[in-house]
Amino acid sequence: MVQRMALLWVGALFVVLFPGAQSDVVADEAYSKSIKPLFRDRCWACHGALQHKAGLRLDTVAAMLKGGDSGPAIVPGDSKRSLLVHRITTEDPAEHMPPLREGVSLDSEAVGWIRGWIEAGAPAPADEVPDADPRGHWAYRPPARPVVPALASGSGLGAIDALLETGRLRVGMAARPEAPRAMLIRRLFVDLVGMPPSPEEREAALGDSRPDWYERWVDRLLADPRHGERWARHWMDVWRYSDAWGLGDQLRNSQRHIHHWRDWIVESLNANVPYDEMIRLMLAADELHPGDPGRLRATGFLARNFFLFNRNQWLDETVEHVSKGFLGLTLNCAKCHDHKYDPIPQADFYRMRAFFEPYHVRMDVRPGEPDLLRDGLPRVYDRDLAKPTFRFIRGNEGSPDTNRVIQPGVPAFLSGPALPIVRVSLPVEAFQPERNPWVLAAHVEASMARLAEATRVLAGEDSGEPLEREVRERRMEAAMAEHHAVNARADFMRGEWMAHGGDVTGGLRIAAVHAERRHAEARARLAVAEAEQRHAKAEASKKEGALKELEAARKKASEAAAKTASTVGDTERPTTLVGSAWTPTRFLDSTKDDPDPGFPSTSTGRRSALARWIADKNNPLTARVAVNHVWARHLGAPLVASVFDLGRKGTPPTNPALLDWLAAEFMEHGWSLRHLHRVIVLSAAYRMDSSTAGADVEMARDPDNEHGWRRVPMRMEAQVVRDSILMHAGQLDLARGGPSVPPGAQESSRRRSLYFYHSNNERNLLLATFDDALVKECYRRDASIVPQQALALMNARVVNEAVPSIAARIGVRSGATDEAYVREAFRTLLGFEPGEAETRASLAAMDAWRKGMPGEEPGLASRRAHEGMVWALLNHGDFVTVR
Amino acid sequence: MFLADLGMGFTGLALGATLARDGVVRASETGWLPPDGRPHLRPRARSVIWLFMNGGVSHLESFDPKPMLNVHAGKTIAQTPFAHVQDPKRLAIERLVVPDANGNQRNVLYPLQVGFRRHGKAGIEVSDWFPHVGRHADRIAFVRSMWTTDSNHGAQTQFHSGRHQNDGDFPTLGAWVHYGLGSLNENLPQFISIGTREYWNKRDGHYLGPAHDAVPLRIDPSNPLDFGTHEGSWTASDRRTGLELARTLNGLRGVEYPGDPAIAARLASYDLAYRMQMSVPDVVDFSRETAETKAMYGIDEPHCRDLARQLLAARRLVERGVRFVQIQHGGGGAGAWDAHSGLKANHEGLARAVDQPIGALLADLGRRGLLDETLVVFATEFGRTPGTQGADGRDHHIFGFSVWMAGGGVRGGVVHGATDEIGFHAVEDRHYVTDIHATILHQLGLDSRRLEVPGRKRLEIDHGRVIREILA
Repeated sequence: MVQRMALLWVGALFVVLFPGAQSDVVADEAYSKSIKPLFRDRCWACHGALQHKAGLRLDTVAAMLKGGDSGPAIVPGDSKRSLLVHRITTEDPAEHMPPLREGVSLDSEAVGWIRGWIEAGAPAPADEVPDADPRGHWAYRPPARPVVPALASGSGLGAIDALLETGRLRVGMAARPEAPRAMLIRRLFVDLVGMPPSPEEREAALGDSRPDWYERWVDRLLADPRHGERWARHWMDVWRYSDAWGLGDQLRNSQRHIHHWRDWIVESLNANVPYDEMIRLMLAADELHPGDPGRLRATGFLARNFFLFNRNQWLDETVEHVSKGFLGLTLNCAKCHDHKYDPIPQADFYRMRAFFEPYHVRMDVRPGEPDLLRDGLPRVYDRDLAKPTFRFIRGNEGSPDTNRVIQPGVPAFLSGPALPIVRVSLPVEAFQPERNPWVLAAHVEASMARLAEATRVLAGEDSGEPLEREVRERRMEAAMAEHHAVNARADFMRGEWMAHGGDVTGGLRIAAVHAERRHAEARARLAVAEAEQRHAKAEASKKEGALKELEAARKKASEAAAKTASTVGDTERPTTLVGSAWTPTRFLDSTKDDPDPGFPSTSTGRRSALARWIADKNNPLTARVAVNHVWARHLGAPLVASVFDLGRKGTPPTNPALLDWLAAEFMEHGWSLRHLHRVIVLSAAYRMDSSTAGADVEMARDPDNEHGWRRVPMRMEAQVVRDSILMHAGQLDLARGGPSVPPGAQESSRRRSLYFYHSNNERNLLLATFDDALVKECYRRDASIVPQQALALMNARVVNEAVPSIAARIGVRSGATDEAYVREAFRTLLGFEPGEAETRASLAAMDAWRKGMPGEEPGLASRRAHEGMVWALLNHGDFVTVR
Repeated sequence: MFLADLGMGFTGLALGATLARDGVVRASETGWLPPDGRPHLRPRARSVIWLFMNGGVSHLESFDPKPMLNVHAGKTIAQTPFAHVQDPKRLAIERLVVPDANGNQRNVLYPLQVGFRRHGKAGIEVSDWFPHVGRHADRIAFVRSMWTTDSNHGAQTQFHSGRHQNDGDFPTLGAWVHYGLGSLNENLPQFISIGTREYWNKRDGHYLGPAHDAVPLRIDPSNPLDFGTHEGSWTASDRRTGLELARTLNGLRGVEYPGDPAIAARLASYDLAYRMQMSVPDVVDFSRETAETKAMYGIDEPHCRDLARQLLAARRLVERGVRFVQIQHGGGGAGAWDAHSGLKANHEGLARAVDQPIGALLADLGRRGLLDETLVVFATEFGRTPGTQGADGRDHHIFGFSVWMAGGGVRGGVVHGATDEIGFHAVEDRHYVTDIHATILHQLGLDSRRLEVPGRKRLEIDHGRVIREILA
């Protein structure tokens, strides 16, 4: 629309220009303001710095005059003989530009202006510079640690502040002073641990007289286990954490028990695991640490992308979000055609896909639980080692270009020396996971537990049902038989491993097969007993049916007995106890699982190669993307607004030197996120006041705070809002980790919000109302202000259930007077002292609430007034704001 | 003129907050500005009631009669003169999510399961399962030449966002309308979703932001709106005291933080929330509707009362100036209309559940003079195969199907587009689903190209093209 408006303006200009005398200056301007932007938007992707198809560039008039393979593009003064005009107007689809399948034709208005401009002699500014080489784009050059200016006025300023001050000085703006201490403490708590301070913490920090009190509190909070939970939620946004979802009981997306990945993120942040290591583990822990279940949890990052029905959709998302999340590259824009802005040919999309082509998802048995529906470790492994990757012509999955197999690779403009991809031999436990010592133990323990339960029931009081004792005895026998069978199968498996495949396990094999048969027989006898019981209980009209079932059960039992009595065949083997199960896909047919080829003994090494390349100091993008995310969450605004696109279509950094300094500092300190947090929160920029009162000049000059002259207030994230309410009420359950709290249990749960089940289909209504992350993509949260949020804070049960506790806790700390209550309530819930007007208004309201309860005893009326005060402050903007 | 007094309502608030947040989009650099709530073109409609039938309504048994199916019933398509419809090139528009037991070619032609009769001056044929809709044929423009590309129920999302499931999630039509236009009524949410929507993407705003998600409304006066009912012990008067205090205190904060636009936005959001709490229960309280009106919709008829209540609420919503009311009909599995077997019983029952209320809605809007400014759309994700699935069903069919529109500056008594003789391919005036979007936006005075958000380039096909032939 902008383009159209500009053209209209030019139109007016030309009407004035062409009938009469011409002014090159004005026509120059018409070219620069209208025609050139038109060419840039519509032509340069193929005829500019990125590509010069047919040898033609249209980014300068000189280049147009020089032309391409077909000769000059324009003939000044003669639009009819100008090839460019011919190409944009011809109806011959073979010649038409832009190619008909790539975009709409230029409209007749636009064509008219181009003609007019050529007729006018195609005037252009004398100093026209060709569009820059895309490979020289700022984000594609390695971040160099910038020279930090020594500022006369800035003695004691750290690098961050010196770099910001340089910009401020240039435009003559002063930084805001430091925020009041109470404000700073609240800011620090919310930012670093995800909730405001408790009154005790607040008083301790306020009363801390040590000169380095701030640094000490920063260090204390960074070491607080709540810190890992707080920042895990930020990274879970970027890394697209999602619990499993599907239709009904059918799992279609992500994985069961994916919370193990979330717990790994929390623990890794609390352990200050370097960011580069986290990337490597998320992409390739199965190749790098195949025997380490703790680290294998990290691959939940990829397991989350599981999609039951369609491999292309699954891998499209994987490529898109690995690129956006770690590299700030929109590789997804090159799925159907060459990238229109960055030097990424279409094949690069598929080269990136090839790294992931072999991978699939499986569920490993965890210690103590052999039932994979109840627990398990979702993780990835390379399964399709030889599956070729093909480019899809025009991105259409229906037309793969099978002439050429695409090899894994990264965009050429970013790669250094060729990426070494080395096949990984896996330890035997990785591809025969039943060999992990906890697996057989888990199966044996589970069978023992069932045996103990059957024993308990057998010894318990009789229910009085007919044949109950009989049933219980059979159940006990079945449990016993199962226990024997599991043990025998485990013995056989161990024997076979010790024999290294040799045939020394004959005895164990026969024993295990027998035990399994006896188990089957015992189960069949249990079924008979149960059928007898049902028959005995059945009403007259149903006796006949029950009898039929009983006869069928008896028949099966006698078959099972016969089977037990028969000889074990030479090739007969017991059923192996399972150590891991592939998560089946349904790519071939939506009604049945695809075949499972089993676990290979090697992995391609593709993903670990990619991971090393991404997490390499020489990669110009990785650290910049990360520090930009971290900065945005501390300060409320990123340095590069388009956080997932640092390419040429993205926004330039507001302070490139600062971005590079942070990136360099981050990498030089071992990619330590804790160090990065520390340098940022210790900066004066972080500690500044967010009030703009008295800063009218700065506000007028830089309302968007590009120069970082102030803090911007931030609306708290959904999780912080809910956690704060519960914390103030003394109700917050700080238990860490474990399965996500299911939707039905959330209303009554007091766990931290990050533990709530959260998927595309299931989300907590309160959190969603406050802009909780979309699981499909959330590089930045929205911070909307909508009426539904007001309704939630006014009406939601979790809020109203917390009010009495919060009110009582404040009452304990405050003095007896209403004035003291108001003061303590403000300090606790909002983080500042009420002014005179605020106190007056609050006291009046408290009076009103008291009067609303005539005849009640004074204690009750006071409590009502206190609760009213709390309810009102929970609906105060500052309750959900970090000032 | 009803558009003279456009407020900023939800959209305005949300935008204020977005702009305040940071400079994701810097107006000064790109020249881009978010929509200001004013239409781009002269609007012909004010509100939209969007009726979406989940599961896939058979075009063949509703609005696109094909007697040839009776003539050739039981033959394979290859045995009929229409074998050419199965030319693989013409089938190539389909994009598979997964090869499926559903969404397959069904080759043996299945006869029509219902009769048709002509309605209105135009004599448009509508099936006997939809007599009430038929009665309004002179108000309706039937589009019999729709096509889409997802042969699975992801086509539900596709119909709303214009993009195939394999492409990911995108904002839906209602979200675009909400984003593009300001509020007409500051006491009610402007984009409302009623009915079941368990299968398709539940979020509308996507990259436009959650402020543009539909607000779910229940037809239950005691609890119509999420968080609309106070779950605490405070009387309305106590709460008013608290909200007035909060308002005063927030205002005082504005003195200390003059540069924080969130303060004003929050004040406005509380005012609106308070008014919504008052207004919304009233919308679903039908006690002041006449007995005749209630009977016309059928709100006490067991076979159709659910949709009857929803549509009566919809009329009350547009009467109060709500922009976009999205009604999803037919829950369970991938949608109730998904008649893979037993099509006759399935469609006959479901048509009975929707026909009378829809007819009543058109009549009611008409007699109140609201139909001129309210665009009513009847849509579904795809049609059903001319061939039989199993003994008595029809499968998903993306190559040709029907939708209709009425009111809001759309011509009535019109049939636009056509499928071939057996209802297989749309052959005349073919329309992709975004053509419906373009038409609706156009009637509301919006140009989707001018709503585009920087960094979120939309494809040419996303914009669709206006179906001018059906406009008045």
